[in-house]
Amino acid sequence: MKAQQQIPRNALGWAILSMFTLVLPHIERIPPWVLAVYLFAAFWRIMVYRGRWSFPRWPVKLGLIIAGFAGILLSFRSLVGLEPTVALLLTAFALKLLELAERKDAYVLLFLAYFVVLTEFLFSQDLLIVLVCVLNVVIITTALVALHRPGDDRFNLRPMRQAGVMILQAAPLMLVLFFLFPRIGPLWTVPIKSQQAKTGMSEFMSPGDVSRLSRSGEVAFRVNFEGDVPPRSELYWRGLVMSRLRQGTWSALNFYEVPASQRRQNEPEPLGEPLRYSIIMEPTQQRWLYGLRYARSTSSGIMHSADFRIFRPLVIEDDYLYQVRSWPDTVLEPELSAWRRRIELELPDGANPRTRRLAAQIAAESASPAEAVERVLNLFTREPFVYTLQPPLLPERDRMDAFLFDTRRGFCEHYAAAFVIMMRAAGIPARVVAGYQGGEVNPVNGTVIVHQFDAHAWSEVWLEGRGWVRVDPTAAVAPERIELGLEEALAEEGSFLPDSPLSPLRYRKIDIINKIRLRYDALTYSWQAWVVGFDADKQFDLLKGFFGDFSARKFAAVLLGSWALVLVPVAWVLLLRRKTHALSRLDRLYLNFCRRLESMGVARKAGEAPRDYALRAQRKIPRLAEQIADVTKRYDQLAYAEGASQDGELGEFARAVRSIR
Amino acid sequence: MHLQDVIDEAVSEIGTVLLGKEPQIRLALCCLFARGHLLIEDLPGMGKTTLSHALADVLGLSWKRVQFTSDLLPADILGVSVYNRNDASFSFHPGPIFTQLLLADEINRTTPRTQSALLEAMAEGQVTVEGETRPLPEPFFVIATQNPVHQSGTYPLPESQLDRFLMRLELGYPHPQAEREMFQRQRLNSTERVPLRQVINGEQLAGIRDAVGQVHASDNLLDYLQRLVAYTRNSPEFEVGLSPRGGLALLDSARTWAVMHSRGHVVPEDLQMVLPAVAGHRLIPSGDYSGDSAALVSLLQRNVDVIRP
Repeated sequence: MKAQQQIPRNALGWAILSMFTLVLPHIERIPPWVLAVYLFAAFWRIMVYRGRWSFPRWPVKLGLIIAGFAGILLSFRSLVGLEPTVALLLTAFALKLLELAERKDAYVLLFLAYFVVLTEFLFSQDLLIVLVCVLNVVIITTALVALHRPGDDRFNLRPMRQAGVMILQAAPLMLVLFFLFPRIGPLWTVPIKSQQAKTGMSEFMSPGDVSRLSRSGEVAFRVNFEGDVPPRSELYWRGLVMSRLRQGTWSALNFYEVPASQRRQNEPEPLGEPLRYSIIMEPTQQRWLYGLRYARSTSSGIMHSADFRIFRPLVIEDDYLYQVRSWPDTVLEPELSAWRRRIELELPDGANPRTRRLAAQIAAESASPAEAVERVLNLFTREPFVYTLQPPLLPERDRMDAFLFDTRRGFCEHYAAAFVIMMRAAGIPARVVAGYQGGEVNPVNGTVIVHQFDAHAWSEVWLEGRGWVRVDPTAAVAPERIELGLEEALAEEGSFLPDSPLSPLRYRKIDIINKIRLRYDALTYSWQAWVVGFDADKQFDLLKGFFGDFSARKFAAVLLGSWALVLVPVAWVLLLRRKTHALSRLDRLYLNFCRRLESMGVARKAGEAPRDYALRAQRKIPRLAEQIADVTKRYDQLAYAEGASQDGELGEFARAVRSIR
Repeated sequence: MHLQDVIDEAVSEIGTVLLGKEPQIRLALCCLFARGHLLIEDLPGMGKTTLSHALADVLGLSWKRVQFTSDLLPADILGVSVYNRNDASFSFHPGPIFTQLLLADEINRTTPRTQSALLEAMAEGQVTVEGETRPLPEPFFVIATQNPVHQSGTYPLPESQLDRFLMRLELGYPHPQAEREMFQRQRLNSTERVPLRQVINGEQLAGIRDAVGQVHASDNLLDYLQRLVAYTRNSPEFEVGLSPRGGLALLDSARTWAVMHSRGHVVPEDLQMVLPAVAGHRLIPSGDYSGDSAALVSLLQRNVDVIRP
């Protein structure tokens, strides 16, 4: 092998290092054996480098490829979808090490590595992930630089400097492209099916579901209010409306289960000044969005349902930012349609007989539905009900009977469900609403952080003349849950975030940890709002803010202009550094002479001096021998002989050059 | 007689014993005209010694020959003081180095200690023996021959000492035709060496030297020289580039070459002609470069254009 084609040791070291730093962020998504493939391939390559082993022959390679495919197929039960494809790419990437023999192989590997960096963004666009990816780009670029430094016979950090400089030089161009390059929607947002688990709320709720969610310290979404944040007891983030009870499980109505005539929202008259806020949701792989009561969104692609929820037809796979206005005092659905009334009163036949008897009794004693609501809430307050994250297991049949009359220990979903069943049994339309309640105000930037443990379920009852009214039976049992949050409500039980002993949320009492956590959260919010959330709409707004009304031509001009603004100084610096002097007139003329001869088939060779060139040319083109000799002699005199060249002589030289044709 | 003719005659005179090697003969003469020391490197039996003897004859210089062996000591070259019993004093017996032309055969077979004794003389034109500095005759040339370094039993000359030689020549196998002629002549000739006649006298030698001083090197040419030198320092193929002394050696040789071809100014061809001999032993290829030094020099010549880019 020729020396020029060898991979310098340093480059090999960096290339192998980059492979490992590339696969690390993927580690949760790939089967563990893929990591073993990396170790195996690296070990083999190092043995090759040390001269112990040789590169695998083709049958071995073929076997490895087939094994890789088979492994992916066995691990994922499929080759389609995001995770299997990425795992396949990562496996192939590792095996490429076994073909890393020459410099050109290293190019293939390293250019592929840039692509592998990008795959990380298909899963997460977290601030930390982005930092890891930047680091990876630095490492890959370092390997590329090292590839161009032959003779570096020990693994060292030196090429990193140039790689860093190159990336910094590219940064302004990146900013220009980020802000100005047209965001062509469909081409870039082809939905790729991910097997990632759905997180947060689910569309079904049985006792125990919300309490399970409450064990997680993950962030559900972040809210930024224009103006003051409303009091925490008003922050009921509606997500799902569950109208149907089947076998002890509450569920939301499917889109197709709602008759076409009932799908459109009966738009109410908004009352009072709206609250304006924007929400950035973490990906949920679900379709519904969260908002305060009577929410309308102005963001494109968001729809409004008949039960006053907001949702998006597309699954939320990335951080998603949307704008909402809410009128909390609006009367929702003053007139109830017959279908709606039937749905919101439906109870399974025969279940929970004791509860229904009690409800019927209360209804009979009450003068109005509103009084019945009061009486049931009083029941919760008066009787020894306990709010707990560790409720006892309930029997399969007649769960609510067991809860209301025997155990009396439950979480919000127990109370909401029991309340709605009693209301329906009493003939009052009612339903369960699932979502989040409260949130933590971040003093750093004023956003409200809503965590998974803020998950909550409450109910809505329909009262004549008042429409749907929110009733939270949990507030009757444990008012501190609503006023202060889950942690305070569970303070005695000590069961806040029992599964994550290391979550910084558990250490909110320690000032410094809390401050760091809130700072980082504010940073995440800015990142999501300004970088991840910078979509075509925002881009348009930004450009409009700068340049007034906007035309395609103006857009192109701005794009090119800013590009030039970045590139021209770079080009200028490069030109200055080259220090090319303008060619003298003499040399220009001589090069003209060379071009003339070249067009006749005698090009000057690299480094060839005038006399040698002339001899060769004369032999090739004998008819011009005299002229060639003349030009060469003149050039020799003007360029190398003693005495400064005269303008007159240059003129004659020019004439001599022109005679070559 | 005109200088050009004298030189041509000298070349053809040497050519009678060293057949088909005109370029090397001209370079060797150029080296001596430029007052430089010459290193001839090749396998045994390629005519190294023949060339050096012929040069001495043609230039009419007093010469001495020292065969370098591994047990040669500095005193064997420089001379020693011997106690004279008659007048009870030390008298200096000059060594073979006190001559105009020293033929140092197989210089890399002796120890570094002896090598450096010779090299001081080459650099300074004088020798210091027992604290007393003695000047060497004028002119003083060293023509050294050496076997390729990878041969066994050699002490390779370090770079600093190689640098003292203006040129290094390789003779190479003769052209088949020349070799045939040589075989044929062998039959007719006796084995005894017949000295060549002197073609160039001391006066002419000084004349050539004067003429070299008059040769003009234009800005354009100096530019080209500087770009050549700079390339060897910046390009990754070279571990070590040309030193300023190497650059001066190039220019000096090119000037001499121009005189030998009756030109009043240096042209790029002059530089290119002497480049392999002058630069070849001064450049060290980097570990990554696989070619030999000839390939390295031609790479240098190809990559630096005569006309400023």
